Amino acid sequence: MIIKGKVLRVLPDDTNTDEIISGKYKYDVLDIGKLAVHTFEAIDPSFYRDAKKNPGSILVAGKNFGCGSSREQAPRVLQECDISCIVAESFARIFYRNSFNVGLPIVECKGISAHVDKEDELEIDLDGGKIRNLTKGYELSFKPIPDFMQNLLQAGGIMSYLRKSGGYE
Amino acid sequence: MGKTMAEKILSRKCGRDVEPGELVVCEVDMTFAHDGTMPLAIQQMKSELGTTKVFDSSKVAGFCDHASPSPSSHISNVHTMMREFARENCIDFYENGDGICHQIVLERYAAPYKVIVGADSHTCTHGVVGAFATGMGSTDVGAIMVYGKTWFKVPESMKIEVDGELGEWVTSKDLFLSVVGDIKADGATYMSMEFLGKCIDDMEVEQRATLTNMAIEAGAKLGLCKADEKVEKFLTEYGREDEFEELYPDDDAEYLTEIFIDAQDIEPMIAYPHRVDNVAPAYEFKGMHIDQVCIGSCTNGRLSDLEIAAQILDGEEVCKDTRLVVYPASRSVFIKAVGRGIIEKLLEAGAAVCAPGCGFCIGRTVALGDGEKALSTQNRNFKGRMGNENAEIYLSSVPTAAASALYGEIVDPREVL
Repeated sequence: MIIKGKVLRVLPDDTNTDEIISGKYKYDVLDIGKLAVHTFEAIDPSFYRDAKKNPGSILVAGKNFGCGSSREQAPRVLQECDISCIVAESFARIFYRNSFNVGLPIVECKGISAHVDKEDELEIDLDGGKIRNLTKGYELSFKPIPDFMQNLLQAGGIMSYLRKSGGYE
Repeated sequence: MGKTMAEKILSRKCGRDVEPGELVVCEVDMTFAHDGTMPLAIQQMKSELGTTKVFDSSKVAGFCDHASPSPSSHISNVHTMMREFARENCIDFYENGDGICHQIVLERYAAPYKVIVGADSHTCTHGVVGAFATGMGSTDVGAIMVYGKTWFKVPESMKIEVDGELGEWVTSKDLFLSVVGDIKADGATYMSMEFLGKCIDDMEVEQRATLTNMAIEAGAKLGLCKADEKVEKFLTEYGREDEFEELYPDDDAEYLTEIFIDAQDIEPMIAYPHRVDNVAPAYEFKGMHIDQVCIGSCTNGRLSDLEIAAQILDGEEVCKDTRLVVYPASRSVFIKAVGRGIIEKLLEAGAAVCAPGCGFCIGRTVALGDGEKALSTQNRNFKGRMGNENAEIYLSSVPTAAASALYGEIVDPREVL
């Protein structure tokens, strides 16, 4: 799978799931489309509007992206904002798992945040483990995503994977 | 090669020796979700798998705890949907006021060698009795509710060995805050954090549970303590002594990282806004006015926590410029606290004692005002967490919180008590 898009934001280390989508909304709003309007609201009020204006954008982040709560609404609202991929130095465990479960491609790539600016155009080769910065003209490598996780993405998430394979065996 | 506690549990579950890094599929002994995560799990089961039937009613539970008693009509409708699901499936369902999922799971379900998956990040709490317990998202838990299984990456393990004794008014909360301040919020990512050493051996299960509860704040997948005689005593207290079994790491277990701490070096600590790993000793914040003090949560809302708060507040009055709210972690904790006169002391000191639940921690049932500062015994201080992004949250132990409520400002409990 190859993903190509412009970088919408470069986010700091330890961006947590409360910042991605506040707990004050997730209990009232079950419709992800309506919930997504509040994505990053407290720290970046124009995020939703900018993301919707630039569908297919990529997010770049520092270490431990998605730490905190297990709320799966976090990767789901980012998907709903038409984010095509998140590249971070590292991800928190539950966010990492949730993203594959909902079919949102994410990539761990050491050194990425030092090499990317907002609006750079990136080409991400998920199978080959390469990120090309087309704006700045260089390439970074990452450890390819394990086969099982790639299968989840190709199926469109854990539920369609399980439906197709009839369970875990 | 010896095994860590996490490796021992998964090896038994898989019927073979498993190694860190490998992916395994195994059966789940207990799974649960709450009002923040269960609606999405049910929705996913229905729309993606075409079923709302759980694999085994005795192994699934639901909880109204994060927004309960319901503060809005929307949430009441969410609770109604959960009740219908629970009724159809004959699963255990915990209502408004029954308490926080993690306290109830600890009292009624968690046991050594059980694999427990909850749709809440603080599910790692249950490693305190030797369970392999971890948090996942709603979809993962929805899939477990249908298939009774899930996949795991066998985690690497980190040993936190604590020797010596904690000083007066210093608690396991201070110990964890000090650890996360050192290793930071991603210091144990994907690992099993195993708490060992004499200081941990001396603690009761309730104090140890603060450590395993907060393991996620360092990124860990699990927080584990030995299943020893203290765990046996705890299970016996809840009529579940037959579920006890010893669990220890092997002497030659291989830990990826080992941290050694002398408990005497630990001081009362504060985590300041807006990160749990922003940590400094309480005396550095001396004199900082606090608008609201909160005692409760899955981290520090247990009987021994309320008992120590009552001991500090007994015969005293909360500062008139500060509110104190107290949330017992469960109905059982609340009843025992009433029976021992703890609640009376808290009420007489001026506390608002509320129904068991955890809505205050995420700003669902109590919210802070603009520019306000809260000192809470909960586990997270992220921006906006208590319902207002223009407020500040400081985290501390129960003694620091209770003593600070008396003065209306952050104090080091050792200096004033």
